Amino acid sequence: MQPEAGTAPMLCVRDLEAWYDESYVLQGIDLDVREGEVVTLLGRNGAGKSTTLKSIMGMMDRCAGTITFKGSDIRGAASHRIALAGIGYCPEERGIFSSLTVAENMILPPRFGDPALSLERIYELFPNLLARRASFGSKLSGGEQQMLAIGRLLRTGARFLLLDEPTEGLAPVIVEQIGRVILELKRAGLTILLVEQNFVFVSQMADRHYVMEDGKIVDVIANDRVQAEEGKIRKYLGV
Amino acid sequence: MFEWIDVSIPTGAALYSQLLIGLINGAFYALLSLGLAIIFGLLGVINFAHGAQYMVGAFCAWALLHYAGIGYWPALLLVPLIVGGLSIIIERTLIRHTYKLDHAYSLLLTFGLLLIIEGVFRQAFGTFGQPYAMPSSLTGATNMGFMYLPNYRGWVLVASLTICLVTWYAIERTQLGSQMRAATENAKLTQALGVNVPVLMMLTYAGGVGLAALAGVMAAPIYQVSPMMGAEIIIVVFAVVVIGGMGSIMGSIVSGFALGLIEGLTKAIYPPASSLIIFVAMAIILLIRPAGLFGRSQGVPAAVSVVRGGADTSINPWLSTALLFLAIVAPFFFYPVFLMKALCFALFACSFNLVLGYGGLLSFGHTAFFGGSAYVAAHAMKVWGFPPELGILAGVATGATLGVIIGSIAIRRQGIYLAMVTMALAQMLYFVAVQAPFTGGEDGIQSVPRGMLFGFIDLNDRLTLYYVVLAIFLIGFAAFVRIITSPYGHALKAIRENEARAVSLGFRTNSFKLICFVLAGALAGLGGSTKVIVFGIASLTDVHFAMSGEVILMVLLGGLGTVLGPIFGAFAIIAMESYLQAYGAWIKVIQGVIFIVIVLVFRQGIVGEFDRIAGWGRRLMGRSPSKGVQARDASAGAHN
Repeated sequence: MQPEAGTAPMLCVRDLEAWYDESYVLQGIDLDVREGEVVTLLGRNGAGKSTTLKSIMGMMDRCAGTITFKGSDIRGAASHRIALAGIGYCPEERGIFSSLTVAENMILPPRFGDPALSLERIYELFPNLLARRASFGSKLSGGEQQMLAIGRLLRTGARFLLLDEPTEGLAPVIVEQIGRVILELKRAGLTILLVEQNFVFVSQMADRHYVMEDGKIVDVIANDRVQAEEGKIRKYLGV
Repeated sequence: MFEWIDVSIPTGAALYSQLLIGLINGAFYALLSLGLAIIFGLLGVINFAHGAQYMVGAFCAWALLHYAGIGYWPALLLVPLIVGGLSIIIERTLIRHTYKLDHAYSLLLTFGLLLIIEGVFRQAFGTFGQPYAMPSSLTGATNMGFMYLPNYRGWVLVASLTICLVTWYAIERTQLGSQMRAATENAKLTQALGVNVPVLMMLTYAGGVGLAALAGVMAAPIYQVSPMMGAEIIIVVFAVVVIGGMGSIMGSIVSGFALGLIEGLTKAIYPPASSLIIFVAMAIILLIRPAGLFGRSQGVPAAVSVVRGGADTSINPWLSTALLFLAIVAPFFFYPVFLMKALCFALFACSFNLVLGYGGLLSFGHTAFFGGSAYVAAHAMKVWGFPPELGILAGVATGATLGVIIGSIAIRRQGIYLAMVTMALAQMLYFVAVQAPFTGGEDGIQSVPRGMLFGFIDLNDRLTLYYVVLAIFLIGFAAFVRIITSPYGHALKAIRENEARAVSLGFRTNSFKLICFVLAGALAGLGGSTKVIVFGIASLTDVHFAMSGEVILMVLLGGLGTVLGPIFGAFAIIAMESYLQAYGAWIKVIQGVIFIVIVLVFRQGIVGEFDRIAGWGRRLMGRSPSKGVQARDASAGAHN
């Protein structure tokens, strides 16, 4: 399914290439995310999903192509400028700072706009975090870290989130909780680009799925086609 | 009443005043090591210029008073802003470019900065101190009951303690501090969360330097404002940092004050040991607790890093023959003493090249081996009447022994920590040379007789001496080549490239490193004791840390990890020194500039770059490059 005519996508990536030293990791990625959508990047380990998010955030030393966010080209900009343009990034392994307390982690990213959720609402959504405000990041469980990693983006004013495998290594109960949060964010009008391997999880909330293989996008599947194409997706993701 | 105090507790008062002096010194150690720790934490830069920036702070206060009539109190605020502001320029133009390189490069770059700053100030002000008057509101002393406390010293104590605690609070408890800690942990991610990390790093550098400048202002009324004041304190501060552990802000504050106090206590009990005690403490702490007293991770620091040189062990036979021929006819065209000096330093450079270029160990106190052996050889030949061959043997043995001692302490840490440890140990040897009864103090050991080699070769004949020195050099160089081409040498290179992998392959890497120090110590000892025969003198210059810097420069200039490069480097630097002798301290400035240029654009050195270009040439002509060139190209790729 291609974007409808007339609505310019919020994020538009064209012919994106990226390298780690000599190895050619992203080999020409095209993708669009429109406002209010939840879009996923599916694919096996090493397909280039996380690298795509890093390239969007300006964290790669070497990349080429165009990345347009809200109409302006952000490719090559310093990554803090990209963040302040309104993109919240939650890395793989969650990126909680172990030498900072929960409260410090929460207020670390500078606030630049109208927050999607107030600090009170964030703590309401993740009650565990409130109880552990004074603990250091290194003392949190994986689930708590994930909640903190998403929570801290919500008070900055970012309305476009890049989430890198938010369910990785978490217990099913926690995965469910995170699913509810993502749905709530979608209802609140946030736009999300999600990297996942767990397509059963993402099919509950996503609008479209990009499938990546060896640094290229090999397929785009609308969410209403997921059931019909389950066999194909399993083949893409299977080992 | 007063008489009673004076008479009854004289030793007590003397003790207290020594402890006070110690605490004041400690206050400066704490302020400086705090600045170093902050800068290192976020930037990963060991700011070698820190002592020089402290000196600049003191001079800046002096200049404000002298030329503009601006007094102490405004200077306390203005000087950190001025010096911090200047440091922003330095960070933007120079230091910034080393963030993506190995930590060792930033150490070398800031060492170059130190040479430039110190050279300029020495040229402008000589080595004499300028007096700086105490602010009139703080003259006089207060009777504390058990002693008189000079008001100014009391103020320095209170002020520095306050500054330390405020800095600690700012880092551990504020939003800005949490951004700094986050960036220390993961700079890329912190930036991707919207924090302007490059500006944060710039401000952190300015802040750390500003602290040093502030310490300089506070020091101005106590110590003489002299271009040398920074060099004297910085190595002690490095030792403090190693003791405290780099990871901790509180560690540098506490150990700064504590070591100052210990130093004062030593001065009261046994004065000659007071300049050594901090280095002894450092050695003991390293043996017991390698991470330092407050170090966060036990043992190995997070960033284990060494300079990776080439892996070249090949020698072009034609080139070698040509060079040997040149060496034989050279004394008929050049001043033989210059050639002999260069040959001695070439041995020294080979020794350093072995340690850093092939072992990956950044020994920043390499002159300990060179100068230590020089002293022993000179003493043996002059006082004990050793013939030259035994004098040289004694020197070589001393170098090897020092290699065992320094090596076994230093290899407990890696990367830049090893650099700081070796430098501190070398400084300890320097203080021994200043104070020990047999070294002749400031004069050194002079007019050492050259004597008769093997009883029949008269070394007083200059040409004979030249060929003997050349022979000694060739023996040393052959030993060096044998070492790097032996199975041991290959294992050493493997450890340099990837220590963890070498360990997993079953190598006891520490014993390899220790042997490396011993061999390099012996080689440097050969150079040092041969130098004694040539010049008939062993002096403090031979053990001063500037000499360690010089040998590093020789090797980097010539080409780290190349077989012949350091020899070229030694000749180039010695030639430069001989021809520029008239320009005084400008030599240091030029050396500093060379350091910076090498680090920023020229990391392969002369021979390295030449080989690289030759490699391109060969490839352009369609011939396959030699093994050595391939290896160095690979490492060049890793650098860029």
